[in-house]
Amino acid sequence: MEKAAIQDTLQEFVRRRYSVAGDDPDFSNSVNLFDYGYVDSFGMVDLIAFVETTFSITISESVLVTSPLNTIEEIADFVLQKKAAAQCSS
Amino acid sequence: MQQLVIDLNRSDADYIEQVRYALAFASEDIHSYEIDEGAKQIRLQLKPDADESEVRTRVDQILIRYDQTQFGMKRVVEYERKHDLPPIDAWAGLLERKWATPVGDGHVVLRGPAAMLMALVDHKVETLFAQEFGAELQYFPSTIKSDTLHRCHHFTSFPEHMDFVAHLREDLEVLKNFADSCRDKGWSPELHDGTMSLSDFAISPSCCYHAYEAMEGWDLEKPGRCLTATLHCHRYEAANHSYMSRLRAFTMREVVWVGQPAFIIENRSRAEKIIIQWAKDWDLSCTFETANDMFFTDDYAVKASFQRQQQAKKELRLDVPSEGRSISCFSTNFHSTTFGRAFNITVGGRPATSGCIAWGYERWVFAIFSQFGLDHKLWPAGLREDYEQFAVKRTLAKGSSTA
Repeated sequence: MEKAAIQDTLQEFVRRRYSVAGDDPDFSNSVNLFDYGYVDSFGMVDLIAFVETTFSITISESVLVTSPLNTIEEIADFVLQKKAAAQCSS
Repeated sequence: MQQLVIDLNRSDADYIEQVRYALAFASEDIHSYEIDEGAKQIRLQLKPDADESEVRTRVDQILIRYDQTQFGMKRVVEYERKHDLPPIDAWAGLLERKWATPVGDGHVVLRGPAAMLMALVDHKVETLFAQEFGAELQYFPSTIKSDTLHRCHHFTSFPEHMDFVAHLREDLEVLKNFADSCRDKGWSPELHDGTMSLSDFAISPSCCYHAYEAMEGWDLEKPGRCLTATLHCHRYEAANHSYMSRLRAFTMREVVWVGQPAFIIENRSRAEKIIIQWAKDWDLSCTFETANDMFFTDDYAVKASFQRQQQAKKELRLDVPSEGRSISCFSTNFHSTTFGRAFNITVGGRPATSGCIAWGYERWVFAIFSQFGLDHKLWPAGLREDYEQFAVKRTLAKGSSTA
């Protein structure tokens, strides 16, 4: 799966789930979702669950501390890393 | 009395503190408990007829909940000042001087210099923060709709410390029987059984919730609004109530921002610089560091990790040498759009973000007396001068008002 496709999937979910207007000029793949108020701490729990289910990966609590998952781009990079690691080990 | 011993997997300080706190809410069958950190064991004394296996299951659930943080929570210390202070039993001193009187578990009356010190802290908050940020003064009721707390996600994060409000049912027989029983046999908690209304209000566990519900449906002018309020809050802490460091009834002052993200983030950052300077001015033994709320739910690890990673909560923790620990006396919080979404508050057409800074006044008083003693003449210069000047002003004001 390409990074762009992962980002599109994440964007679509965030826009739909957190009611982001289609013409919101600040919303992008690189905006900090939490600082800019697109996703709050409760929403982040949903977002993590969505990522785990959609991309068949697990995100441990330690990842939340050690990996920056603040933007759609960062989450997409993390998904790609997990996918690559899974392929190497299989 | 039955004793139950349960082994711990870990013995790090954060984990032990969290487990110790949470055990107080594990089961009504637990009479008391202690944690032997050296032996990595919990020793529980159970009440007569307790179901041991049920208690064990409950305790295991708590251990699993906090075990999930074994990777270590992110900790960023932004300011630290450590004094080598002798242990002072401030609580005993306050009682002896009658500057504090406990009036029930987790309830305390302050007077004399203890009340004066608390008023000084409030005065500092007013001048250093409320006036500095042009905060609008607001007054809030001490009770709050349970539905509001539900919409704030409070019940799904902190169900354990709620104090609900209820009144006697609107029924002549109920009211008459209650009054007659009190007259004939005296009051007892059993008189409430079956006589109380369904509860739809709670005592506010925090100050700022009223601010958001009172703005429901508002579209704010950019960049946003700033307000301040003081509220007497309640949090039931079961066996965790401890002198003045963990009260059931306490005083919270907040400055709250609601508006655009940059407005919140920039003001919060400014406030953090001011609180650090205040800690320096009073030479407090403390740390200012990232923190997390004590979410009392099974998703504790996810919520707490996220909060720490985002540095959504920071605390000024003042040392209490006699207890060998520090207590959180001030926090800064960034909520993102949690409350903006819950109450449909918008700014520029988007859900408003919010943030707040909060002081727990009784903890400030307790920590200062614990660090520097009860004789203000021996306090660090900055604190002593502020206290003396404030006390003189208060005394003069009192004199002129009674003249």
